[in-house]
Amino acid sequence: MSSLVLKMAWASLARRPTRSLLVVLMIAVSLWGLLLMQGIYDGMTEQMISNAIRSDAGHLSIFARGYRLDPSLDLLVEPEQGPAQEVAGGLGNEGPGLAASLAADPRVASHVVRLRQNGLVATSHYSRHAEIIGVELEGEQLQGRLADYLTTGKYDFGPKGKGAIIGHKLAAKLQVRLGGKIVVSAQDRAGELAGTALRVSGIIRTNNMGLDENAVFIDLARARGLLGVESGVSQLALLLAKGYGEEDLAALQGELRAGWPDLAVSRWDELYPALMQSRVLMRGFSLVVSGLVFGVAGLGIFGVMLVSVLERLREFGIMLAIGAGLNTIRKTILLESLLMGLAGFLAGALAGGLSLLYFRRFGLDLSVFSEALAEFGMDAVTYAIIRFSYFSEALAAVILATLVSVYFSLRVLGRSRPMAVINKG
Amino acid sequence: MLLELAIRNIRAHGRRSLLTILLGAVSTGLLVFSTAWMDGSHAQMIRNAVEIYPGYLQITGASFRESPSYEHLIFDVERLSGLLAREPGVADSSPRFESFVLFARDEKAVGGMLTGLVPAREAAVSRLRDSLVAGRYLEKGDSNQLYLGKELARRLGVGVGDELAFVGSGADYSFAADRLRVVGIFQTGLFDFDAASAFMAKDYFDTIMAAENQATHIIVQPRDPGQAPELARRLATLLGPEYQAASWRETMAPLVKAMEIDSLFGYLTLAVIFIVIFFVIMIYTLLLVYARIREIGIMRALGTTPGQVLTLLLLESALLGLLSVLLGGLIGGAFAYYYSVHPMVFASMEEQFRQYGLAVSAIPAAFAPLVILRDMALMYLLLLLSTLYPIIKVNGLPPIEAIHHV
Repeated sequence: MSSLVLKMAWASLARRPTRSLLVVLMIAVSLWGLLLMQGIYDGMTEQMISNAIRSDAGHLSIFARGYRLDPSLDLLVEPEQGPAQEVAGGLGNEGPGLAASLAADPRVASHVVRLRQNGLVATSHYSRHAEIIGVELEGEQLQGRLADYLTTGKYDFGPKGKGAIIGHKLAAKLQVRLGGKIVVSAQDRAGELAGTALRVSGIIRTNNMGLDENAVFIDLARARGLLGVESGVSQLALLLAKGYGEEDLAALQGELRAGWPDLAVSRWDELYPALMQSRVLMRGFSLVVSGLVFGVAGLGIFGVMLVSVLERLREFGIMLAIGAGLNTIRKTILLESLLMGLAGFLAGALAGGLSLLYFRRFGLDLSVFSEALAEFGMDAVTYAIIRFSYFSEALAAVILATLVSVYFSLRVLGRSRPMAVINKG
Repeated sequence: MLLELAIRNIRAHGRRSLLTILLGAVSTGLLVFSTAWMDGSHAQMIRNAVEIYPGYLQITGASFRESPSYEHLIFDVERLSGLLAREPGVADSSPRFESFVLFARDEKAVGGMLTGLVPAREAAVSRLRDSLVAGRYLEKGDSNQLYLGKELARRLGVGVGDELAFVGSGADYSFAADRLRVVGIFQTGLFDFDAASAFMAKDYFDTIMAAENQATHIIVQPRDPGQAPELARRLATLLGPEYQAASWRETMAPLVKAMEIDSLFGYLTLAVIFIVIFFVIMIYTLLLVYARIREIGIMRALGTTPGQVLTLLLLESALLGLLSVLLGGLIGGAFAYYYSVHPMVFASMEEQFRQYGLAVSAIPAAFAPLVILRDMALMYLLLLLSTLYPIIKVNGLPPIEAIHHV
């Protein structure tokens, strides 16, 4: 019986090839566009998030409480400080230190420490506000592949640690090139003005706007000497190991907050709320566009199925007269629309999937707009993302649009009484 | 007669005609409003970004924008100001001297931009005065009084009436330092700007920075901001090769490009929606003409030429399309007009805008009748195109086949 239904449905579609093909094409082309849009837009958003995580926030960042409101060298994190616990005579900080705990935690892939201070950077011609960031290059490379952001120069502070890696926008403003001399000055921990001369050893472009415009990365040991900070850091950023997700991140954040209550432990999305908003907004936007597209596509399927039912009322009447059940006819119509929907889905998913694979491998090169994209914190080449959910959700939407649109045609069929139609002759 | 027939046919298939009109109208409305929304939001973002501080037109030393050092300053501010005052396209102009210094208060020191400006003239070229949130704006005759960004004030821990010190280098590269008193605090909404900017009256600034008759920029307010690029070209000729006159389209080029990209992606998204609408209209037209295939066959058998049938069907599509775009244009235009008068408020998105340096939360749509007409014409063309294939296909059938079509 089911094979008969399938044969009838197929024959009916084949009888009107142009319109069947148009419906399939409509679903395929719109799905192709939607998949491309989702994959590329998500790729852009995730790239921005990845840049922020790699270059600055990590998955979690730890600061001294109050530091973010008032970035000062008096508010530092001591990586050797143990968790708060009750000891004889009150609360104490015993046990393994924060850095050691993180190093031993399997959920943590890596962590880096940074000493940050606002100051001035000057060339012989010009001076500008800058953020001096003392870092350990090996750790930064391990955690965020900072060297990949290098546009020119070396990922190195030189044998004496007199090099500096600076943001490309800052370099452009200062008109300083590789090997050029800069003088950074800032207030040290004692409140005195401190300065040091450095040579630009590298220029980076992270597309994290704050860093590209203001960052002067210097050797952590040199930063300690310059700022008079023997121990302690402004920020400790950590990256979650592969295989751990949002829930593990929340659990780790909770544990760190409980263990070190005098520290502020923030997720990347708390440090960069705009990026999280972008992600949420992009999802909402995709949902609205998908809803519109599938809604309109459903209208197309509805029109075709309605006409298909109306023009075959006599045929259905005859089928009923020779003993076919109304359910068989209903199934045939349902199968016709599902076949069209699925054919459209398969064609669209294939075209969309292949296109996304291409853009995931080679990226969408928008270098001509690179300066403008940087305004949004985006890279010039966007690599598409492919998620299984794109296809599963699209399939569900196609089936839903098909079922809803065929439902009305079946109601029309029920009201039309096909037997009466053949009697009218 | 063909027109009468076309109208009669449209009315005879009322439901399908209505559905086609509605689809076309919704598409047109969507396009008209989306364009108005994108244009409006981009114009507003650019306007805010330009008017808060950078200004519509900047004059600098010839190489200053590429190499912003004290060697490329404007060294004859008074002569240039006189020239600008005589230029009919210039409403106002105001000189600025920007320098980067370290501000210090008690045990805190923060790097930032200290700018000398002419208070009254500056008020005509930027929104600095309007951004006052505490104390007062700068006045003529002020000496060491400082007008400070709110975030910078917070970082330094100072309020109105408090004193702080600065150290920097003067225009002659000499060491410059002084004690300053905060008279006013401003907040533009541009976080980075508010966190790193302070202003003082240029007369006094010039004495401590050795910058008499010198400036890093002269900001020009055009009589018609829309003509800023043309005015910049005229001023470049007037001022000669020692100076550079750049309109906001150059000084804010990345932002302008960013808005163009945003529009591009917006139109690409709309294109996906329009593709499916295009197909639906094509499908409906196909159904509509096939439902009348016998009628068309009979007309042909009675002697109506293929050309006349084609004209009739095209006329029907043209009429349906016209009704669609008129209705859609009216609906989209009405929304565009409403939201141009009552801007949409996006308080929850301020953080995101701020990240991009855009101090906006209320965004108006742009109501531009010519742009609306352009979009309507574009959609009309699309609607006509979507009906062409079914019409040509059915008209190609021989009359007998058409009459016997099942």
